Amino acid sequence: MQAFAPGIYPRSEALVQATRDLDRGRTTAEAVDEQFQRDLDELVRVQQEAGLDLLADGMLRWQDLFRPLLEAGEGLEPGPLMRFLDTNSFYRAPTATSGEPRLPQPLDERYVAPLPGARIVTLPSPYALALGTGVPAKVLATAVLKPQLDALDAELVVLSEPFLARDGAGGLESLREALEALAGGPPLALQITFGDARELLRNGLAELPVEGIGVDFYATHATDLPRGFDKLLLAGVVDARSSALEDPQEIAEFVERLGVERVALVPNGDLQYVSESIARQKLARLGAARTAQAKETAA
Amino acid sequence: MTDVKFETREIGSLAKPPWRVKAFAGRPIEDGDVAEAERWAQKLSLDGTEELVETLRRDEFGKDDLRLIDDWSAQYGLALLERAGLDIVYDGEQRRTEMYDHVVRHARGFEQRGTIRSFDNKYYSKAAVVEEPSIDRPYDVDEYRFLAARTDRRLKAPFTGPYTIVDWSYDEHYGRHGSLGATAEQRTEATRRFLLDVAEHVVRPNAAAVVEAGCDWIQIDEPALSTRPDEVPLGVEAFNASVAGIPAARRSLHICFSDYSKLFPYVLELDDCFELQLEFANRDSHELGTDGADRPGYETLLLFADHEDAPSVGLGVVDIHTNFVEPAELVRDRVVYAAELLGPERVSVNPDCGLRTRSWDVAYEKLANMVEGTRLAEEALNRAHAGSR
Repeated sequence: MQAFAPGIYPRSEALVQATRDLDRGRTTAEAVDEQFQRDLDELVRVQQEAGLDLLADGMLRWQDLFRPLLEAGEGLEPGPLMRFLDTNSFYRAPTATSGEPRLPQPLDERYVAPLPGARIVTLPSPYALALGTGVPAKVLATAVLKPQLDALDAELVVLSEPFLARDGAGGLESLREALEALAGGPPLALQITFGDARELLRNGLAELPVEGIGVDFYATHATDLPRGFDKLLLAGVVDARSSALEDPQEIAEFVERLGVERVALVPNGDLQYVSESIARQKLARLGAARTAQAKETAA
Repeated sequence: MTDVKFETREIGSLAKPPWRVKAFAGRPIEDGDVAEAERWAQKLSLDGTEELVETLRRDEFGKDDLRLIDDWSAQYGLALLERAGLDIVYDGEQRRTEMYDHVVRHARGFEQRGTIRSFDNKYYSKAAVVEEPSIDRPYDVDEYRFLAARTDRRLKAPFTGPYTIVDWSYDEHYGRHGSLGATAEQRTEATRRFLLDVAEHVVRPNAAAVVEAGCDWIQIDEPALSTRPDEVPLGVEAFNASVAGIPAARRSLHICFSDYSKLFPYVLELDDCFELQLEFANRDSHELGTDGADRPGYETLLLFADHEDAPSVGLGVVDIHTNFVEPAELVRDRVVYAAELLGPERVSVNPDCGLRTRSWDVAYEKLANMVEGTRLAEEALNRAHAGSR
């Protein structure tokens, strides 16, 4: 049993203010950089205090799930502003300016920050990155994601997939081909964020060539998990879109009922959809749930 | 056949002038801000702004000063829309912090839960529902009365709809128990109870009071309505609950930046909804032309053509996300295309959405061109009709 927190973490109120001030010309880029570092230090401390097994850098500088890769990539650019799922938040849709995009250099430390311990890294799933670009997911996996993966030193790379659950199982085959192209690097998990994975699970999601599969259990009924699930299950048991704080004991009992051997407790998507003060408490409860689940299993 | 004439109107919010923003934020007003107030007073032919300018030059603002600044901001917003030539006006929601925040700050049952990123370095405050929502008293009546006393034009009062309030709030009350691993049916029922409570105990009493004060057109704003296609029927039910029993001559629904095909056939169940005001220009070509191929952004109108019993269309002809000022001829062609497809009696003209992210200069130019383009469309259609007689 593990616990960790993939995805984009919310900015503190101090960082919110600093970035607002930067946009309005009321502070310097250096001052904002210093606040980013303070936010990162605090996030590391919170994760360590919660007892999470793998650290994350919270992607604090990522403006959305795709932006740094679009800005660093050749043949890619940030496109129109789009609503992210059914939230009141928006992202720049990936747009291809060439049929053969590539990532000439992996992202630097601004986007994959050094951490004092074993870590995870989150990247967009190739299906999500390719959506709407007209470029096959396999091409983007090979030429954009693979060079980035090869440059990472991580225990696990979580590929965040927000769209597939809504688009249906038709995209599974192209995703499989893309994931095959990513083999040979760090272990991969595909996380279906903020969506009901039932149809995907019924159509082979659990057989994709990755180490772990992430399921949002605030949108997916527990019984939809196939019997004999034998991958690492990234169980989305902390609701990143709810301000309500989870009960660690309730989570522990829920996970016990799933009957899966290898489980990592995770939020069901980016925690940036709650404020930083709430996210901090959710991380603490994520860690507490893992402890409670260990007791549950021992009992 | 009588001559074709289209109504023009705004949709929602305008940007707030810097002198208003700074005054309420407790930041110093600079000379440039005062000059901006004077420039726009002249452009809008506003009389009596000396008291505003004098107030803005003060070092500190008391309660009465802020009230005066608030009132003038509303008058500027109203005047800008009038001067641009719109038939139907309001005040650009100058007194409202933001469409979501305005409601939850006036309602009981919500608590603020901090700052969430909208995009890049833009953020918004988000609240949680912690008990059944309600209001102590209607909160938009004074706003309406102030405007009604200062314009001869028809007013259309906007109200943020229940679906958007629910969708943009955290739920710490309705679905709190058993949400982990719950069935879709359980989640839907929790959402439905939340929606109907907001519709019946927040939106409806407020809108009803504004109508009682004399307003004859209420617009329910639901930008989020079709983001979850399976919940569109709930959104329709919530609209009906919001306007039930309110004797407004017109009730309309504004939706934007969504896949409108998901709205059908459910919108046919909207009770006495005069019109759907929709965003189209955002997805359309800038080229001139009145054929379907020239107007790719307006493809959804075919659904309205197929459903004659659907509400009329408030046609978004101005993109609110760019500084590109649509030439009057482009507006003309968009209106002509829609009118020829649906019949002019089913079409009115508006921007895609509120222009709050544009400067007043850009917003004014866009609206003025929208009105001019609408007049050109009327001329073209009337000319064609006369030629066919």
